[in-house]
Amino acid sequence: MATATEVKKRTVRINGCVASAQAAKYADVDVIAAYPIRPYTATMMALAQMVANGELDAEYIVADSEHSQLSISHGASSSGARVFTGSSGVGVQFAYELYSPISGSRMPVQMMIADRTLDPPGDFGSEHTDALSTRDMGWLMGWACDAQEAFDNHLMAYRIGEDPRVLLPQMVCQDGFFVSHITSDVELPDSGQVKEFLPPYKHPYPLDPRHPVSHGPQIMPEQGPPLQLERARAMEGAAAVIEQVHDEFAKIFGRRYDPWVEEYMTDDADVVFFLQGGHAVTARFAIQHMRDNGLKVGMVRLRTIRPYPTERVNEVLSKFKVVGVIETNMGLGSVSSGGVLYGEVCAALYESQHKPLVLSFMAGMGGEAIVLNEFYWMAKKMTEAQKRGKIEKRTHWVGFEE
Amino acid sequence: MPGIEVERQILPILGSPNQGARFYNPDLPASEPFVPGHRTCAGCGPSIQYRMTSKAAGDNTILVGPTGCMYVANSSYLCTPYNVPWAHTQIGSAGSFTAGVAAAYEAMIRKGKWKGAFPNIICEAGDGSASDIGLASISGALYRNHDCLIICYDNEQYANTGIQASSRTPYGGMTTFSPPGPMVPEAKTLFPKDLARMMAAGHPHCYVATASVGYPIDLMNKVRKGLNHKGAAYLMIYTPCQKGFVYETPRSIDLGRLVVECGLYPIWEWNPDKREYDYSFRPQNMRPVSEYLKLQGRFGHLHAEHIAKLQTFANQQWKMMGIELPEALIQAADAKNLVNMATASAAEAVAQTL
Repeated sequence: MATATEVKKRTVRINGCVASAQAAKYADVDVIAAYPIRPYTATMMALAQMVANGELDAEYIVADSEHSQLSISHGASSSGARVFTGSSGVGVQFAYELYSPISGSRMPVQMMIADRTLDPPGDFGSEHTDALSTRDMGWLMGWACDAQEAFDNHLMAYRIGEDPRVLLPQMVCQDGFFVSHITSDVELPDSGQVKEFLPPYKHPYPLDPRHPVSHGPQIMPEQGPPLQLERARAMEGAAAVIEQVHDEFAKIFGRRYDPWVEEYMTDDADVVFFLQGGHAVTARFAIQHMRDNGLKVGMVRLRTIRPYPTERVNEVLSKFKVVGVIETNMGLGSVSSGGVLYGEVCAALYESQHKPLVLSFMAGMGGEAIVLNEFYWMAKKMTEAQKRGKIEKRTHWVGFEE
Repeated sequence: MPGIEVERQILPILGSPNQGARFYNPDLPASEPFVPGHRTCAGCGPSIQYRMTSKAAGDNTILVGPTGCMYVANSSYLCTPYNVPWAHTQIGSAGSFTAGVAAAYEAMIRKGKWKGAFPNIICEAGDGSASDIGLASISGALYRNHDCLIICYDNEQYANTGIQASSRTPYGGMTTFSPPGPMVPEAKTLFPKDLARMMAAGHPHCYVATASVGYPIDLMNKVRKGLNHKGAAYLMIYTPCQKGFVYETPRSIDLGRLVVECGLYPIWEWNPDKREYDYSFRPQNMRPVSEYLKLQGRFGHLHAEHIAKLQTFANQQWKMMGIELPEALIQAADAKNLVNMATASAAEAVAQTL
């Protein structure tokens, strides 16, 4: 086992997009399918330069659309190549047809997402609706909150998705701009560490003329359910692999992540924010400030949403009196008439003996920053609910109410 | 990036399609990558083409099948007719999935992850995929020049979904999306997209050709030329559909010749080195379009004026190939000289077989 003293690590100051590109390079990907859309484009720009410089030996394909990006990735992964692709916003949606075929054929394609608000109109800001709209398509999915975590998540996702017990594609998400375009220190590992952590991709049944197989033949209706069940079991079974891989990652790279949730100042908290992604960084500052003023507030950040850690969310959130779900996504006409996270949280809490009150906050919409004052405002709404012991209003559009 | 050099296959060309060996050649390979056991209709043009194509390609081949007849009717679960690797992909992913396979093999061979000669990578897209929903993906693959062969098996309609009009459906062709009626007596009012020329014009670095199941040796040689060409190649192949064209089942190959002899399906090659068309292929006869139309129920509703329009179209195709028109075909392009399809034999008398 390599130790930190034996290896050549270096720390660089890069943004989330470049961190993702670096991860793809360390993973020695074979095929890259690119198509421009802001903000994820910078990842593909960085990879194009790496290929041009001879730092990475890969087929770099400038696709004709996101639909083609994902189809190229599907074909390349089916042939036995390690594949990297990515998109943002409406680009994620343009490729929608391919998400089920890729997970259904059990091809561990990796897709980087730097979130962007969906149209209308053309809004560049980060909102998680793009990736979240594909959440039930059989892809492993989770959000990073900074560039280092994005880098680490890419490596872990390849390892998890390519595991023969899993064989599922992965969406490795980060907020557009807040993570994708803000630079921070990222520790790049020694390539020996990555070699030790990530074995070469080997699909059991690739398209190889020496061992002919047929992928995706037409089936009868009664032949569908067993395949769907297998895919469901793969997603369920991924949980154990995810935990194992996070453990091994910590041993080799020295950074330990809880695979499911990050808890911040939750030990004695009464009210907590529940969120995904980059706004967690601001939330930590806001919580520190509120703690100085005596408020028992904390944060639970969801790191992996697919597979969804139902038991863990139940166990963690049952400790608190009020949970404020910060959505950063649109769930028009959904359970809460707010975002889609609320339903996921409440369903996980349904069998809890100590149900907290749950509020849904529509904040960070359209890619707006959630500023400190808005965190304070949300905490106030949560403590008011705590005092009353009931919810008066389930969903709040932050910034549109007193 | 220096890496392991990629070895490419070179397949020998069979006989000469214009000199006797038109329908049979003793050098035909024995291998059958496309075996019996599929569920296509009797006389299915696309599956006849599939057998010829895969036979010409041999065993070091990977097939890509976008949604269409050659996916749905060929691959019933646990009963696949492919002796070589085959993958389904989405109907709009014909070019892109194929590009992914080609790119994977380029990278894997170069990086020492796969050892062997670069496989033949063939995409079998129906005309719905090739001319409509997958057009951009195919154009992308041709433009980027992946080493692959993309085939449009052209049965001039969406047949698998129950006969709907595609951009390749001919003028006057009846489909369930272009039925004839008092307001639209000719059924399909538009002439087909000139797909193969569009691909040649837009991607002049590619080998592009048209072929027909009526000329098997020519078809197989074009498959091999396309595969031998380093880079992307494109074939558009006439493959009649008994179900949609409504003809007597044993006549698939006859139609494959008649459509060429009537000038409705010009056979040519685009030479990417010389950057010019090769029109040297000559059918044995030139015939009026009515001889082709009268065999098919999908044209049964046509009136004399519509047949004349189709003859005009055919005459334009002959002219495009630089072929001089005999007087009878010029005559046949005038509706006054024609009667409707119900008396097609009379039309024949006007424009006799040449």
